[in-house]
This record gives sequence, structure tokens and C-alpha cells, in this order.
Amino acid sequence: MNGPRSRPGPLGLYLHLPFCRAKCPYCDFYSLAGRTDLVSAYLDALARQAHHMAELPWTGSRQVSTIFFGGGTPSILAPAELAGLLALCRRLFPVPAAGVETTVEVNPATVERRALDLLRRAGFNRVSIGVQSLDDRLLGRIGRVHTAADAVRTVRSARQAGFANLGLDLMYGLPGQDLATWRRTLEQALALVPDHLSLYELTLEEGTPFARRAAAGELLLPDEEEVLAMMALGRELAEGAGLHRYEISNYARPGHECRHNINYWQNGSYIGLGAGAVSCLSGRRLTAVADVEAFCRRLAAGEPVWSDEERLTPAARFRETVVMGLRMIRGVDLAGLEARFGMDARSHYGPTLERLLDQGLLAVRDGRLCLTGQGLPLANRVMAELV
Amino acid sequence: MKNIRNFSIIAHIDHGKSTLADRMIQRCDMVTDREFKDQLLDSMDIERERGITIKSQTICLPYTARDGVTYTLNLVDTPGHVDFSYEVSRALSSCEGALLLIDAAQGVEAQTLANLYLAMENDLEIIPVINKIDLPAAEPEKVARSIEEDLGLDRESIRLCSAKTGEGVDELLEAIVTLLPPPEGDPEQPLEALIFDANYDPYRGTVISVRIVNGRVRAGDQILFMSNNAAYRVEEVGLFRLNREPQKELTAGQVGYIIAGVKTVSDTRPGDTITHQQRPCPAPLPGFREVQQVVFSSIYPISTDDYEDLASALEKLKLNDAALTFQKDSSAALGFGFRCGFLGLLHLEVVQERLEREFGISLILTVPTVKYRFYLRDNTMQEIDNPAYFPDPATIERIEEPFIKATIHIPERYMGAVMSLCMERRGENTNYHYPMPGRIEFTCELPLAEVIYDFYDRLKSVTQGYGSFDYELIDYRPSDLVKLDILVNGEQVDALSQLIHRMHARERGLKACESLKREIPRQMFKIAIQAAVGGNIVARTNISALRKDVTAKCYGGDISRKRKLLEKQKAGKKRMKTVGNVEIPQRAFLSVLKSDQ
Repeated sequence: MNGPRSRPGPLGLYLHLPFCRAKCPYCDFYSLAGRTDLVSAYLDALARQAHHMAELPWTGSRQVSTIFFGGGTPSILAPAELAGLLALCRRLFPVPAAGVETTVEVNPATVERRALDLLRRAGFNRVSIGVQSLDDRLLGRIGRVHTAADAVRTVRSARQAGFANLGLDLMYGLPGQDLATWRRTLEQALALVPDHLSLYELTLEEGTPFARRAAAGELLLPDEEEVLAMMALGRELAEGAGLHRYEISNYARPGHECRHNINYWQNGSYIGLGAGAVSCLSGRRLTAVADVEAFCRRLAAGEPVWSDEERLTPAARFRETVVMGLRMIRGVDLAGLEARFGMDARSHYGPTLERLLDQGLLAVRDGRLCLTGQGLPLANRVMAELV
Repeated sequence: MKNIRNFSIIAHIDHGKSTLADRMIQRCDMVTDREFKDQLLDSMDIERERGITIKSQTICLPYTARDGVTYTLNLVDTPGHVDFSYEVSRALSSCEGALLLIDAAQGVEAQTLANLYLAMENDLEIIPVINKIDLPAAEPEKVARSIEEDLGLDRESIRLCSAKTGEGVDELLEAIVTLLPPPEGDPEQPLEALIFDANYDPYRGTVISVRIVNGRVRAGDQILFMSNNAAYRVEEVGLFRLNREPQKELTAGQVGYIIAGVKTVSDTRPGDTITHQQRPCPAPLPGFREVQQVVFSSIYPISTDDYEDLASALEKLKLNDAALTFQKDSSAALGFGFRCGFLGLLHLEVVQERLEREFGISLILTVPTVKYRFYLRDNTMQEIDNPAYFPDPATIERIEEPFIKATIHIPERYMGAVMSLCMERRGENTNYHYPMPGRIEFTCELPLAEVIYDFYDRLKSVTQGYGSFDYELIDYRPSDLVKLDILVNGEQVDALSQLIHRMHARERGLKACESLKREIPRQMFKIAIQAAVGGNIVARTNISALRKDVTAKCYGGDISRKRKLLEKQKAGKKRMKTVGNVEIPQRAFLSVLKSDQ
């Protein structure tokens, strides 16, 4: 375990809290709506899993660099429960006392000022708020159970609670949305002076109610040109407000890029705790069973919690790392890749890569391979050649 | 010899020929129920699926009749499709009689008539058999009347049966013995054996199906194929039981097989005469002709890596399919492939399906073409079946194309639809009469090229499946032929070029453009699709550029799944052909071949 290839990079710790007040019709993440009765059993199971993971030789010794509580809607849990979980993580894993980005996702109207105070004091130093839109008509249409006013209040409360690193999630390409409503939402959101902004195009994920309704022609979705215009407008307004684009869908004030997520795009190591959560360690990728009840049952019975394990060949991991790295605007560091995998991208991809460079979809800048402005909206096409 | 009966069953598709054959095999105790598979004689998957016999098989049945004598019944199976009428005629000429099988519900069809005429040309004794009398829609009385009045056959000789239930099959076997004549022939004369089929056996080479007309043949004999003077030494002769059963000799009147070290089926020619080298017969048996391919198409593997596999697959098919021809061909768009000749469109489809299914090769076929005659200004004539060899128009004096006479049987109510279909396809000299009340026999002279392009599908569609169709080649006639080219982003896709009558060029060009537009996925640039005749664009369309293909979210939990989606996208790309910089999927090529209704 010596040499440059085994040099430990960042290690992320993710905690999945798959509970929601209501299921959003576009969401395909694993979550349960209205089953808060399962929360206490789930917290027990999470603690058990955390203990197991902390005891594994290949995780125990590494320092955790970021922590992220995601969902679902983590803020459905009582602030004390979230604080308890964070304390547990800090006790079980080597977490430095300072400098650890610690994020909690919250939804508007699920947390009030007092709760945010508690979370901040418990050690969370970054909050990510699922605003999605600041148009009440659209919020209703996409099944969100909060209003624009709720979102604004939550942002203000978080600031008052002392969150100096605050991110907002917004969606575009929504049914019934046009460029003008998108502009209003962007402008109102930017007026809240976030440090981080995620602008997600609506994706019709297979098996979701939206995908079914779209297939049946019941969703009036903006056309490709309009979505492209929304994408461009998002970038224009965000960058005008000092938030630079650092990933396909993510913008941040310099220094406020989400380090936890950057670690995913660098195909780094992470521990995932919870039902459906994924851990990626030492070239293995393990997925926990995506069912809260089965998750609890298995942990209670001392059974393995994994439903899937993937072990890729070094060449496949190399390609996956390139593809993931291209999601970031600065791209993937070619020398770093070579140090990590002992493979050179240009010789590995040969003429395919040269062609993509010639077509102006990819570029090499400062020793980094990245998508160009022309390549970014066609990222999947490029990635499908490199995967 | 007086205890032998050689006969065929002739029928329209689906009138129950194979089922009846199976029932007879069961009656003659040739096979136990456990061994019994439906339609024993149709052994290829594709035949079984479509219920069509392509490769005929023959079987020799021992039948003990009511007079106590055991007869040898040789059931000579015939291919059941219009593409194979020469093969049918050779098989029939090895028989003395035929069962004319007619569906009790559907009555006389075009192929029934075509095959009946073939049987009559071969002077066969005919027993009309009305099958499927168990069907609720059966009208045996009406069909019997039509047999008597329209076909001019003796009512007394008609037999009724249900091959499905077995009813009437015993009476039919009895009728074969009593009504059909035994073969004639002299075992002491010089050998005259008619080749009517050949099958490939991987261990023994070609197994030649023969009818011994005169003389006798045994293992060790030196034999001669009279069409090409090829000489062979006989290794084995025998009869077709369920398996081949070797015999000491075959003599005049018998139907059986000869194995003589003949390497491939293509070395034999149906209709050829086999005789002894030392003591030849004075003249070959009448009726022989070389097999003619009338439909031509190039076959390319989708993946150029499969070229060698395609070559060896075609070699293997050719072992058992003398009618298939192929030679190397190459296309700028598709790389290396083979130019193939077929007896007809069904033959083409069968070959295509076998290549894809049995050999697992994904293919692209070019638009099927007939053989045109180009008379050039330098007073030479070229036969051209490949658009790639279309001569410089300035050098062409005139062009001729093959015509057929189509015989179409339809219920009266479809007359208008069929007439306009034939007119649309440049039909001439139409004629019709009523073989029975409510039914029309419609004849029409059509360019063969118009028939190979989805004519049969369209006929079935406009007649709701009630139309039946048969054809024969008649002659060559002048044609105003042009070459229609398809251009993708200004680059000609040679594999999509077609030879076509000027009248249809624009319409077909438009259709091709639309099909391609539908099937070629959007790419990162705009794609122009054009159809051109000479230098003139006759149709055009565009595929707009793909502007956006990007996944909004990809975090730790999504990586594997998103990667797999990208891998799927990558695999789909591999199955496409790149022309210039445009990726064209296989189904886009296929869509140009097929028209939509």
C-alpha cells in the first residue's frame, strides 16, 4: 500500500435519510413518503452500519474530509436526531476537529430558525436548500409542498443561524415553465445571495410519475431550444452574480464549491451509510439494499446489508474517472490520472480522443482534459465515446 | 414395379400439405407417436414458422392396401412458393400422380391452379382432395362443384379429408393405390435417372434425389451428369425412409437417392439426367434448364469484422442451396460484402433470415434489383443487376427490363383495389374471368422490378389477406430506367442507390428521404438527406442538429447506473455504419428497402 497510486485522497462520508413528507413526481431517489414511524428503527440501523463500517480495516484509518446528510428530506428528522447522528459519525470515524465541510440538505418549511440554530451548533457548517422554484404555481405543479415565501424564510433563517456556506437548488425545463418565469426565479434566488447554486434541468427518470405522464403526452414541457436558452440564462445570471460554473449543473462563489461532490466527480473514495447508499472504497463499489425495512431487518439480524457489489478493472475505472471528471468545467487532470492509474489518456483513447478534440467538443487546457462550451450541452455524446 | 406409386401433393400455402403428409406417415406406421413432430417433412426452422416448404423432402412409405398387397408409396414433396416453380415442376415430373389439395373453406387459389397446370404439363393423374372438412366454415359441396366446373376435373375422383383429425386419410391412401398408375420403364434399358432435388449431408456430401426412369443403378457404377458431362462413381444408393436406407440397387420406376462423392449441391442441377458412362442413354430427359436468379441484392455485415463469417456462412448455405449465387462486392459506404442472386424475394428473405438467425450475423441488404438489359450506342448489350454498374447515360441507346405475367386470385369485391395496385405498378394487358361465382382470376403483365418491391405485401394488404398470387417470367420490354442515388450530407451512399423507372423516381426518392429522416438519430450537426437522379435533386429533407444531450445530476449513488447508460449508448453507436461523418443505423438501411403502407 505504498507509492503514489495508494496515496489516500479525500474520503467522503454520506448519510442517507430516505424520508419525505411527500414524494415528488420527478424524483427517482430512494425515499419513503409519510413513514416517519420507521425513523427510530432506521436510526438504530444506521448506527449499527456505521459501527460495522468504522471497524473495516480499509476505512477505519482514513481521515474523513467531508460529511453530507442527504435524502430524502433530512430535515424531516428532529434537529436533535440529526445532531446525534453527526456526533455518532464523529465518534466512530476519524474526523478532524476543523476544516471538514459538513452539509445538511433541508427543504423549505421543514425547518424553522430554532432548528437551524441547533444544526449549526451541532457542527453542520453548510446547508443546501431544495428551493426548486420561486413560482408558487410551478411548485404546485411539480408536487412540492412548500411555497416561495417558505423558501425565502428558510434562507434568511439559515443565515441568521450562522450558516456562512449556503446553497440553493433550482430546477428548469419544468412543465409550464417559460424563460420569463425562470428568469424571475433566478433573479429572486440570486437576490438571496447564495454561496452555491445548483441549476438542474428536469430529467424524466424512468419509472417516475413524470416519465409516465410525459410518455402519455400529458406534460407540456418546454422544447429543446427553450431549455437551452434556460441553461444559458442560468449561467449568465449566476456568473453575473459572482457564482462561477464549476460543474455541469453547479455554480459557486470561489472557495464555496462543494468539496463533498467534487470528490464524487474525481471518482474518489466515500462511505455511504443508509438504505440505498453507495460506498466506494479500494476499487469496490457497494450498494446497500434500497429498502428501509429490509435495511433495518438485515442490520438487526447481523446480515450483510449490500445488494450490489461492483469491482471494475483498472482500465474501466480509468475510463469512468475520465467520464466523471469531465462533468467538472476544469475537467480532469491528465498527469493526475496517469499517476493514479499508470495510464495515459491520449494513448488509451487514440484516434477517438483526437477526433473529439478536432471536433471542438473537448479541449486540453493547463494539462486538463475538459469539455468545451460546445461540448458541455452534448456531454453524454462525448462521454459515450470515452466510457 | 406395379406395386409402386410415385406422387406429389400440390397445394396453395396453408391448405394443409405438410399436415396431410405427416398423417400419411403415421398411418403407414413409419413413426411412433413419441417420434412424431408436427410437419415432419419441413425441417428448417423458418419453414416450420412460416409453414412453407422451401427445401423439398421425399419419403418412401410402405402401405398395405385393402387388397392385401403392400405397396411402396413415394411421396415426393415440393417447395410451396412462386419463387420455386421450376423446382416444383422437376419434382412433379418424377411422379405419375398428384394429390391436388384444396382447402374446404378457401377453395381454389392462384397457386393451386399454377401447380395444377404444372402437374398437367407433366401428364400426371390428379386426385382432387378437399381438406379441412372439419372446419366450421368448410363448404366441401361448393368447392367440389368448382373443381368440376372450373378445373374440369372428374367429380368421381374427388376425395374428402381432414388431415388434422385424420378423417378420410385411409380412403385417400386407398385411392392413391387404385387411381394412380404405377410407373412405367424398363430396367434393362440404359440408365436414365432424373435429378429432382439434392441435399447436403456434412458426412456424405451431396445426397441426390432421383427418379429412375429406365435402367438400374448400384454402388460402384460410373455415372455421368448429362448437362455438364461430369463423371462420378456411385458410393451408395437407397430409399428415403424416415432416414436414408441403403439398397443394393435402384431400378426403373423407383424414387430414391444416389450418393456419389458430389461435393456441393450446386454441382447438381435439378432436371438433369444421370446415365451410365459406359452405356449412356441416347438423349437426356426433356425439360431441363439452368436455374435462373431473378432478384439481386448485396449483403454486407454491419460489423466489418464479420465479413469472414459472412463468407463462410454463405458457403455453407450454398452447400444446400443451388439456387443461391454470390460473389464479392464492395461498397464505399458499407465495405466488403457479397452480391447475391436469388430465385425471388422469398428466397432472398429466407437466406437473410438464415444468415441472421443460424449464423448470428447482423446484415444490411441493398435494394433488390432485377437484371436489366442495357443496349449501348456501340451496339453491345450489357446485363446489369447492380446499380453500381449503371453505364454513363450518354452511352445508353435503350434499356429493357424483365416482365412477368401475374395471376391473381381474389374475391370479387377486391377487384378495384387490385386493379389500381397493378396500374400503379405499370401493369399492362390486364384480363380477368370468373373461375367460380364471386371469385376473380385476374391476369396482368407487370415489370418484375415492380413486383419484387413489396408487391406481395401490398396485395395482401389491399385484399385483407384474401389475394393469392403466382407469376411467370415472359419477356423483356423497353423501360425508361434511371438510377436513383441517395446523398447524406452531400456524400452518395452507394448501398442505397436503386435502379428505378423514371415515373417512380421522385416518389421513391421522397419516401427514402423520409424513411432515413425517421431512422437516423439526430447528430451533433445538421444532416442533409437528398435523393438525386443524374445530377438533379428530386427530393430532400434535413435532420436538425442535436443540441443537447447531457445528464443534469450525477453523484455518488448514480455513478454505476449512469456509466451503464453511457455504455449502452456506446454499444448502440457500434452497431451503426459511418458514412462520411454521419452514423446510420441498420434499421435506416432496412427502412429504405421496405415501404410503409
